[in-house]
Amino acid sequence: MTPLTIIVLYLCLLLGVAVLSNVFLKKTAGDFFLASRSIGPFMLFMSLFGTTMTAFSLTGSSGFTFKNGIVTYGLMGSWSALVHPLIFFLVGAKVWALGKRHGYLTQLSYLRDRYQSSFLTLLLFPLLVGFIMLYVLMGAIGAGSALQGIAGLEYKWGVALVSSVVLVYVFFGGMRGTAWANTMQTLVFLIMGAVAFVVIVSDLGGPQEATRQVVEHANAEVAKRAVRTDFNKGVFASYCLIPISVGMFPHLFQHWLTAKKASNFKLSVAAFPFCILILWAPCVLIGMWATASLPLEVPGNEVLPRMVSAHAGNVLSGLIGAGILAAMMSSMDSQFLCLGSMFTNDFYLHFIAKDRPSERSVVWMGRMFVISIVVATYFIALYCHKKSVFGLGVWCFTGFTSLFPILVGGLYWKRSNKYGAIASVVVVACMWLYYIDRALEPGGFLLLGVLPVVLMLAASTLAFVVASLVTPPPDEAHIAKFFAPGPG
Amino acid sequence: MKLFTIALIALLFMVHQDFWWWDDSTVVLGFLPVGLASQMVITLGAGIGWWLATEYCWPKQLDDSPIDESKKESER
Repeated sequence: MTPLTIIVLYLCLLLGVAVLSNVFLKKTAGDFFLASRSIGPFMLFMSLFGTTMTAFSLTGSSGFTFKNGIVTYGLMGSWSALVHPLIFFLVGAKVWALGKRHGYLTQLSYLRDRYQSSFLTLLLFPLLVGFIMLYVLMGAIGAGSALQGIAGLEYKWGVALVSSVVLVYVFFGGMRGTAWANTMQTLVFLIMGAVAFVVIVSDLGGPQEATRQVVEHANAEVAKRAVRTDFNKGVFASYCLIPISVGMFPHLFQHWLTAKKASNFKLSVAAFPFCILILWAPCVLIGMWATASLPLEVPGNEVLPRMVSAHAGNVLSGLIGAGILAAMMSSMDSQFLCLGSMFTNDFYLHFIAKDRPSERSVVWMGRMFVISIVVATYFIALYCHKKSVFGLGVWCFTGFTSLFPILVGGLYWKRSNKYGAIASVVVVACMWLYYIDRALEPGGFLLLGVLPVVLMLAASTLAFVVASLVTPPPDEAHIAKFFAPGPG
Repeated sequence: MKLFTIALIALLFMVHQDFWWWDDSTVVLGFLPVGLASQMVITLGAGIGWWLATEYCWPKQLDDSPIDESKKESER
């Protein structure tokens, strides 16, 4: 059996899950977009973990380690283990309580209500769509590269195949299907990640032998870089801001709203670091060991697929390939669903539809919008084949992190108002678009010796605080809605 | 216990900067660079710290949040 056959069988299994979940789908927007707020702790954790672990965590981490050494784990792995649970704890559970109380379906519906501004939605909508497109692009490039490296499928067909399968199962199953598929996919990529690690390390002659080959690499500089943290200290510290981006992911916000109760977040908060360790450490080690077995000019995105196909047999390559794709698809599905819900609830219904259209036509409008975004992303992916998934990820997360003050301010600062939120969004949009070319160049760029996210977050926070303080405060009756006993 | 949990998590944020093995090429257990091993220990510490946080710092009132019935219309 060839790797491609196994991967195609796995994709068919996913479609089967979507069809099954469709049987349980109630024909309401609340059920399609939020699974009627019925998700338990285990499925919530699997959805949150599967959604946040992407091509960035697999192909991105191993590729970045191949080029820069074990520092990769400290830059993103352990920072995420500390920061992601903090965000779920301080923001996720509180957002869930407000969502349940006031019936929010999306992040934008909360922000519009909290800041009493439709204009804010109009500004944020295209910006968030742009950020998510970059995120989807990361998954598409990762999936195309993985299918090419492991199954020999041409890159353009690999991207098209994975995008189409995810589109179909999201459209069939909505949030319930996505949560089910995410649970299955998260288990698949955790298990297959472990299998890949064991298979590769055995074929390399054991972990000690694999590391010995790296340490004794003919190029002493490469050997030193591979096994040391040794990195720009300011940049290393500033990476702690990148994982804050999860707080502002619209698709993660939507997953938070699906929980049945706030205490269902406890498992996600406690188990997240352990699963990060299980996923990231093997990927980083494989990237490190690859420095001794692959030519140094191999593009970072191809490191993991090449290591799998070089060290695993056909059947195992197919299974591991399915695991790698599972990690990428478990993020793309939530992003597709979120794009649809943002478009229908926050743009189409709010600004365009004069009379309330039927539920069916609302869902179809969302689907058409998602298809158009996915098609656009597909063509961009064809031209960005060689872009570093890690670099794309860092710039995408920089945008989300820079918007975080408006969310956390809305939850914890009564004095914050729409003028502050609008000023903050304008600052982020200008800086993000201004620097995008430099950010996507190989190696990225620094501002004043640190990652751009530091200055962008500082500028966005300053604009938010100053504009809120110099303009009238929101009226007290409105604020009481968000800070009344209960969620507050 | 609440203070201990907060202190533990704050300490992990600080030691993450790796003041000890920054340019150390030592390999532990025969295969793990010490810089990577230390970050893995920090990750395990984060798991313990955040588990303690859910036990001793969890805002229990969140589940009692009342529902605004008029707004629930938007979901139907």
